[in-house]
Amino acid sequence: MPSERMSHEKRSIKCSRRKFLAGSGAAVGASLAGCLGGGSGSSESVKIGFVLPFSGTYSFLGESIVNGVKLRLDQQLGGEIDGRTVEYVRQDTGADPSTGASITQEFLQSENVDFLVGPVSSAVAGAMKPEIASAGSAIWLNANAGNYKLVSDNCTKYHFRTSFNTWQTSAPLASFINDNIADNVVLSYANYTFGQQSKNLFREEFEDVGGTIVDEIGAPLGTSDYSSFLQEIENSGADAVFSFFAGSDAVNYIKQFDSFGLGENMTQTGSGFLLSADTLPAQGTGALGMYSLLHYTPTKQTDRNQAFVDAYSTEYDATPNVYACQGYDSGLAAEIAVTEAGGTDTDTMVSGLAGAELDSPRGYLKFKESTHDPVMDMDIRQVVETDDGIQNEVVETLSKVEGPTWGCSL
Amino acid sequence: MILEGLAKTTLLGVEMGMTLVLVTVGLTLIFGMMDVINFAHGSLYMLGAYFGLTLVSVTGNWWLALLAAPLLVGLLGGLIEYFTIRPLYGRNPLYHILLTFGFAILLHGLVTEIWGGQVQNIETPALLSGSVDLVLFSYPLFRVFLLCVSIAVTAALWVAIRRSDFGIVMRASAHDSEMVDALGTDVSRVFTAVFVLGSVLAGLAGVLLGTSQAVDPGMAASVIIQAFAIVVIGGLGSYRGAVVGAFVVGMLNAFGPTFAPQFTDALLYLLMAAVLLVKPAGLFGNPEGA
Repeated sequence: MPSERMSHEKRSIKCSRRKFLAGSGAAVGASLAGCLGGGSGSSESVKIGFVLPFSGTYSFLGESIVNGVKLRLDQQLGGEIDGRTVEYVRQDTGADPSTGASITQEFLQSENVDFLVGPVSSAVAGAMKPEIASAGSAIWLNANAGNYKLVSDNCTKYHFRTSFNTWQTSAPLASFINDNIADNVVLSYANYTFGQQSKNLFREEFEDVGGTIVDEIGAPLGTSDYSSFLQEIENSGADAVFSFFAGSDAVNYIKQFDSFGLGENMTQTGSGFLLSADTLPAQGTGALGMYSLLHYTPTKQTDRNQAFVDAYSTEYDATPNVYACQGYDSGLAAEIAVTEAGGTDTDTMVSGLAGAELDSPRGYLKFKESTHDPVMDMDIRQVVETDDGIQNEVVETLSKVEGPTWGCSL
Repeated sequence: MILEGLAKTTLLGVEMGMTLVLVTVGLTLIFGMMDVINFAHGSLYMLGAYFGLTLVSVTGNWWLALLAAPLLVGLLGGLIEYFTIRPLYGRNPLYHILLTFGFAILLHGLVTEIWGGQVQNIETPALLSGSVDLVLFSYPLFRVFLLCVSIAVTAALWVAIRRSDFGIVMRASAHDSEMVDALGTDVSRVFTAVFVLGSVLAGLAGVLLGTSQAVDPGMAASVIIQAFAIVVIGGLGSYRGAVVGAFVVGMLNAFGPTFAPQFTDALLYLLMAAVLLVKPAGLFGNPEGA
């Protein structure tokens, strides 16, 4: 992707210029190496380690998160927090938990990072957690892994979720559906941890508010032809569907849902990843009228979001997605942590960050004291056609959505 | 209601099966002829979709893309065979596996670099949008078209292999390439032609399925796994085997969610294991398959 390549070069140039201005007198190559993470983290710098996928299916997500972080720290803060130079190291996790764990170990022990940003996959997050908890030497800004079990099983105070948890992107939609769409719903989901958690958490909440779940239909992750699953969905006779699919699964599912005409008799709803800014261009007009729930919507009409969208599109020549927003918020979190603590002492930063509010593009965002999970505004959106193409329009914002603590009390 | 559902699921199975033939047949033809296990087959399929994507966005003409993209993939396939696979004939088949696997990785990286990692889709042409009323139920028009194209291609290939002069040379070369060579036919040119044909078929499947399904760099891996399973079930190198295998897997995909909703992803591999236990060479597996 040309825009991403450009951003790397920009960073390198800026970085080397800074080193020159500081009068280091080192050769360009050496100073570049310092910027890219060869040097050790001195007390005057803040070191951030990206533990993200830069290859494979999720590389696009990893790059978006990095772009978001750098928009805040490099472009807006000039590469410094509270007078301390920001340094980065990055390594590619792919989608492999054990790679994620060994990168984490290396970043903690030999790179002495102050912050870890990542990962994308919850499986990788599960492998990183024990390393981070036992080292206690860095703050973990979890910029995408939504698995609620990271909090429900042995929560650690070093874990701050700058993203979301599975409950937040599924359950809060239940009462909206029950009140406005239908009191009977069929569930369809990608049959893996995240999909199962989403549909279970939604089911619990929907039954709590008095609705009926007619049936549930799981399709293997990576299914390309959903037609026979769609037939089961149609046969359920429900008036609405709640789904969890993401990426290419979401595109295939929605396109085929539309081509078999299921939209005539039932309303499609789902977790926001089903109908996100990344998938909508490929889903096209077939997605019109569908509802979803997510914590970030690029078209949201607030000054703070408009400013973010403008800055991001100017810098990267692309519209920010939810991952870029999570990256940006990770940048904000690092900024607040260091500024509040007046340094990079990990435990002082943890106390400063717990309960802190962030000026996130998504709206309200606070780290809950007891779990360090986000308390945030969630948007219920409907897909509409505008002059700028097929987009989500916010129909209702649920304010300060918290969710359960799952017995975690930090 | 029951009849309706049964009829629709059956049609789905036939359609999915025939579409899988399109994806798989190139793989089996190439193996049957040259004993090359082409791990890059899924990547050629993916390239068909991406070439189609670009051609549609540049020219705005889907039909042109349907014609041109497979030919471009065929050209690339020809170059790959001529410059890299040909020097390795007669060696341990492992060399071909390593080589084509290398191409799969290379093409994945290239596609991500050129077209990006996000999910895209080829827009359905206006002429094939909407659905048709089939008395008991309505069915998406594009899928009807997909079914017709797959049947036509499968039948045409069948006739070509069985009846045409080229088909005779092909089958003879698969059977005893040295003898065919000795009789004055340049076998290496036959091999190149078959590889091009297999690539064109992969590219054609790419454009067609890139229209009804998502186009992203992961599509190569997802199709190659299913294609290999079909080829193993049908018998490596057997054209008839690939057709029957694809048909069986199509039916399995169609009826699986109804009768075994919790095991849909395991069914394919259970079937594969069962076939291998009973007939280790696959349903139609024999050395002279083609």
